[in-house]
Amino acid sequence: MRPALVAAGAAIAVFFAIGALRGGGSEGATASANGGYEAAAPVPAAEYDEQAPHVFSHLWIFPVQGKQQVTPTLPPDHPVVPAARFAKPVAEYIAYSRTQLRSLTPPLRSLSDALAAGDRGAAERAWEAAWAGYLHLGAVYLEGPVSDLNAAIDGTPGGLPGGTSNPGFTGFHRIEFELWTGAPTRSLLPAVAALQRNITALVAVLPKASISPLDYATRAHEILEDAARDLLSGAAVPWSQQGVLGTAAGVVATREVLATLAPLLTTSIPGTELDHLQGVLNALASAHGGTLPSNRQLTQSQAEQLDAALGQALEALAQIPGALETATPSTIPTIPRGAVRIDP
Amino acid sequence: MSRIGRRAFLTRSAAVIGAGVGVAAAALQTSGADGNAEAATVSSAEQWRLSQQQLAEMTPCTGAHQAGILPPKPAQATFVALDSVAPDRKTLLQALEVLSQRARQLSAGGSIPLMESDAPPPDSGILGVVNAPDSLTVTIAFGASLFDNRYGLSGLRPRELTAMPAFPIDDLDPAQSHGDVLLQICANQRDTVVHTVRELLRTVRGALQLRWTIDGFGAAARGPSPHSNARNLFAFRDGTANPDVSDQALMNRLIWTGSEEPAWAVGGTYQVVRIIRMHVEFWDRVGLNEQQGMIGRVRSTGAPLGGATEFEDPRYDLDPRGNRIPLDAHIRLANPRTPATADQRILRRGYNYARGSDAAGQLDQGLVFVAFNRSPEQQFATVQRRLVDEPMIDYVSPVGGGYFFAPPAARNAGDWVGSGMQAALCGTAGTPYLKCHT
Repeated sequence: MRPALVAAGAAIAVFFAIGALRGGGSEGATASANGGYEAAAPVPAAEYDEQAPHVFSHLWIFPVQGKQQVTPTLPPDHPVVPAARFAKPVAEYIAYSRTQLRSLTPPLRSLSDALAAGDRGAAERAWEAAWAGYLHLGAVYLEGPVSDLNAAIDGTPGGLPGGTSNPGFTGFHRIEFELWTGAPTRSLLPAVAALQRNITALVAVLPKASISPLDYATRAHEILEDAARDLLSGAAVPWSQQGVLGTAAGVVATREVLATLAPLLTTSIPGTELDHLQGVLNALASAHGGTLPSNRQLTQSQAEQLDAALGQALEALAQIPGALETATPSTIPTIPRGAVRIDP
Repeated sequence: MSRIGRRAFLTRSAAVIGAGVGVAAAALQTSGADGNAEAATVSSAEQWRLSQQQLAEMTPCTGAHQAGILPPKPAQATFVALDSVAPDRKTLLQALEVLSQRARQLSAGGSIPLMESDAPPPDSGILGVVNAPDSLTVTIAFGASLFDNRYGLSGLRPRELTAMPAFPIDDLDPAQSHGDVLLQICANQRDTVVHTVRELLRTVRGALQLRWTIDGFGAAARGPSPHSNARNLFAFRDGTANPDVSDQALMNRLIWTGSEEPAWAVGGTYQVVRIIRMHVEFWDRVGLNEQQGMIGRVRSTGAPLGGATEFEDPRYDLDPRGNRIPLDAHIRLANPRTPATADQRILRRGYNYARGSDAAGQLDQGLVFVAFNRSPEQQFATVQRRLVDEPMIDYVSPVGGGYFFAPPAARNAGDWVGSGMQAALCGTAGTPYLKCHT
């Protein structure tokens, strides 16, 4: 400990007691347990020092002093993947996505037919097939025209002024809202036609989409993060509650992304966890007469099984982006010594 | 808050705690000087004395502005939104008066009154026979809906008070948004807050009805220094760049309303409350570099990226291309630190929340974001629009809250928060209700 700090008074001594741990003193451990009382001590404020110990992990305790860089610099845990190697996986994914989008035409036609015939049950089944088909792309969080089209195709009303009554609320969820809340079926035909037009437009613009290596690598877990965040909670499908169906579609999309990334990975793909999740989904379908249940049809035990399998798969999938870095974690430039200014 | 502001509050708080602390401080000093750890152990008698001193601490309800707005903030809070079901204006204003007066009583503390034992006790008694003040503050604010045409108050609506608009990333649930009246109840101990909610609702039964509530908590002061801001549930320090609350002129510029408002609303402030769910499981699966890049700060120290300590200027001027702090990092978009954005700064005084889980077994945790500002349009909403495309939006869902207006404080023990509305309606302050409303 620096002598100047010792002289500064009681509070500082307590702050630095954690640092003493590193020196191996058992006194340090006891003193740090009392570290919570310092705020009440009337120590002259001017004496406080910001450069106090910081705990990084459960393994190491570093005293941080002066301008020492705080971020631990560990050796990279994976070899770097050159960015150019992402071109092929991304191209494969875009080709796959366009095929998926084209395959939506038959279920959308069935949806129109059922709506025209006034058969609400058949229309709901056709909506489910078409929407799940769209989710076979996985999350579409790209920028520019692709993002705008996705908002028109799969957007939710939450951020729109007026919510469901906003005319900008279109696409799958507009139809879901109307269909499950009893709107006259024939009134939905224009919305389905507009949806088909937007899907056709997306097929056309997708080849121009730019997907960065980081965006593509994070897709490995973010597709199913969406399922955990928006689908199984019902947040994105409040009327149909078809979160389980959407999750199953997310598994398909994730497998596709992983397959394209496999040549780039030196680690193994977390197949066991995805297989387990798929097994849980299959069992759910069997238990519900061959069709995936809605969120609300899940028993507590079934919901726990599904949430657990999804969570476990996500923990494994979240390791993928770190294994696909295109550069060693770059050292963050430091603010030059002479340029450091402390706020008033 | 700046260092000066924090110091001022520390001094005040130390002065209030008084003698009881001296003992503990002496014990700590012993430990610091000779490294004798045993001496640093605060005895149970001293701990008892400290806890009683803390319970006895009172936040004075004096001055032009309501308490509970400028930090520091006690550890516990509940936000209660109420809707008026009062049949007429007289009943509404009476309810606001008793609400304000009961809040003042509870904040001051004191023995609970006794009645005949066959009557329900006038105080629930859950804090015992004496209500300790425990730094309790009750901040009363009004929503835009109070100024609709039900009570003839529309002419008094604060200039910028509207229902909180839905921003593009929002997923607002009406059942936890908006309201005619908002109570922000803060104290050191959870039971003090719970008691206050219960007692205040009793006083306005039949006139103001519960709409939504949310409980918040502050992270413990874990240092490294007493200045250090506590962490939110994304693990980053929150409140670092708050304007200096000890700077009166700055507060008048950024926080307190002036002559732009109707006379009764001068000296108040707009309170923005946003219940922001944080998708914490998802966040915990994001690499540290990516987390830090989204916020723009080092997670451990709270320093701006490239800096070493929490209160360093991020020096965006030296990093125009975002090599050090990404151009879309939260701190950079929220407060670009340019002359043009200086008057857009807001005063944040939020609380963390954790309330169970959702239907998918995901934890429902997040931030009760609270901001005070003089002009929500020029300040909060302008900042919010800059944040619309920040990468952090994937990890949060704003689900509730509202825009409210916290009027100036009651002027004396007989006055109440919002009495200026009555004065404006009746022409003279202090006109009896019956004269005013018949």
